[in-house]
Amino acid sequence: MNRTIFKRRWFRISVIAVLALAAVLAPLELVPYANYQLTMIAVMGVAILGVNIITGYTGQISLGQSAFLGLGAYVTAYGVTEGWPVPLVFLLAAVIPGAVGLLIALPAVRLKGASIAMVTISLPIIADPLAKRLTDITGGSAGITVQWMSAPEWTGLADDQWRYYIVGAIALVFFVLAWNLTRGRIGRAFAIVRDNEAVATSMGISSYKYKVLAFTIASAYGGVAGFLYLAAVQYMSPATLSFIVGINLLAAMIIGGSASIIGSLFGGVFYVFIPVVAGQIDPSHTPIVYGAALLLILFLAPGGVVTLPRVLRRLMGRRTGRQQQPGGGDDQATESSAGKVTS
Amino acid sequence: MDSIFLQLVVDGLANGAIYAALALAIVLVHRATGMINFAQGAMAVMSTFLAWSMWQVGLPAPVAILVTIVISMVMGAAVERLVIRRFEQGSEHTAVIVTVGLLVLFTGLAGLFWGYTAVEFPSLFPLGTLNIAGAFVSYQSLGNIAVLLLVVLGLQLLFKKTKLGLALRAVADNPESSSLSGIPVGNLLMVGWGLAAALGALAGALIAPKVFLDPHMLDQVLVYALAAAILGGLNSPLGAVVAAMLIGVVENLAGHYITIIGDDLKIAVPLIAMFIILLVRPQGLFGQKEVVRV
Repeated sequence: MNRTIFKRRWFRISVIAVLALAAVLAPLELVPYANYQLTMIAVMGVAILGVNIITGYTGQISLGQSAFLGLGAYVTAYGVTEGWPVPLVFLLAAVIPGAVGLLIALPAVRLKGASIAMVTISLPIIADPLAKRLTDITGGSAGITVQWMSAPEWTGLADDQWRYYIVGAIALVFFVLAWNLTRGRIGRAFAIVRDNEAVATSMGISSYKYKVLAFTIASAYGGVAGFLYLAAVQYMSPATLSFIVGINLLAAMIIGGSASIIGSLFGGVFYVFIPVVAGQIDPSHTPIVYGAALLLILFLAPGGVVTLPRVLRRLMGRRTGRQQQPGGGDDQATESSAGKVTS
Repeated sequence: MDSIFLQLVVDGLANGAIYAALALAIVLVHRATGMINFAQGAMAVMSTFLAWSMWQVGLPAPVAILVTIVISMVMGAAVERLVIRRFEQGSEHTAVIVTVGLLVLFTGLAGLFWGYTAVEFPSLFPLGTLNIAGAFVSYQSLGNIAVLLLVVLGLQLLFKKTKLGLALRAVADNPESSSLSGIPVGNLLMVGWGLAAALGALAGALIAPKVFLDPHMLDQVLVYALAAAILGGLNSPLGAVVAAMLIGVVENLAGHYITIIGDDLKIAVPLIAMFIILLVRPQGLFGQKEVVRV
């Protein structure tokens, strides 16, 4: 019974409608800090979505997304400080990291597996001292504070609410773009390049071209995330583009769900809330939770949290299968519990 | 001018020796399991902290380090058996991510057990420096280079002259055929990881007196070591050592003589060099070209 309800189209649409309504109304009720956290989920979700496009969908490991996020944030900080119009700043924050990504990808994607991981891990390691050096633009190690993106008078909103809506709307657009991209011709080409390059070649798909494309798009997503980051935090320092952040972004992507759009959003939730949860005991425990969660996911559900319901259902199914001989009436109960996880 | 140059070269070699120790561990793992272990540095940090704890409770430093090396060997084998084994047959993609997960986890564990405040680690070698033709070399650096040379020699002997080494090479080359000829492949993979972890522990103990010991001590060294291992061709211990020494010297010279690079950006030099060399020679400076059949 349960299952059929979950599969109905109207049910899904109404769930989405309720969630969308909640997302729109939430900031009006929540305290500013909660709004800030929700905003950060959207920010990191976009950065993780970028990692997903290159690593999850196209199969090329990127440990360097934090460098592009950092570049986007610094471009934004510079543009805003100079008083450029915000749409132009946004465009530059996406295009400049994208162009840098393209220049790196042109030679880098010729490398295989671990070598490309190695090249991408180098990016934050070089970007970090570079950001500290260029004090005029970046404010050096101390970082740079930019006050902008305040709520206009006519909205009657507080700054945190306004930023939530702006960041959320931009993030939504980029999630929809990624959804379309990965489900179209290009997305299918990405998947073939990831699964078997020889097959891709034999089908006339240039894996080189599509890897460069994926890397460029991923870098631009990193830049957009940097723009959103500066909108949400109003502050940027080299710590945000460190290689630990790059590694954590990849980890969050895998935990959320490789090659899954919604998984990237879950990744953002993880990225924002794992430090909070771990911080209940001691903030320095964050890496343990990260590492343990990542390994657990790889062992139990390599497809990420999004595949957990499926994995659980399979496990339940196997267990009830064994129990069926003595009891047999267990089926209904496990089905509904698996159903709960799905919702 | 000349004495500065010499000093830079000597310091570069001393740093290179440290990168080389960790690079050797990475090469060992790659030879055994065909994986690149991004967690090699984090595992070495755990080992170094273990040695530090033993030293704190009163064990002499050399004994503490030796005991740690043995324990690390067991732990390395355990990591292979319990975690890595599961992913060996999978894609290289997943394998890298697994070791990245281990990197994060081990760094966190080191922080949990020993905290994030840097501590001092005892040196195995006496303080003081030696004056060689105008350049000053600390006994510690000389000691590190000597230990490294011994390790390289030992590894060459192990791989080329012993039955264990032959079996290790066979497994790395072709696990299936090795298994068919009665070689216990699983055990040998554990041996490979155990040896690498032991080597990592040694590397940690050599590095720690120069910098201070904290959970992130080897983050940068790992990058140098990975660059050296990749440049050296990933399968050649000697290649990794030469590449590591080269990296140490070149980055020092570039940092000093090319003002725009300076001390803070010198880490970019080996990484960019690695990138360029990989493009020209994907198999590294000393590696064998891999032929892939479809």
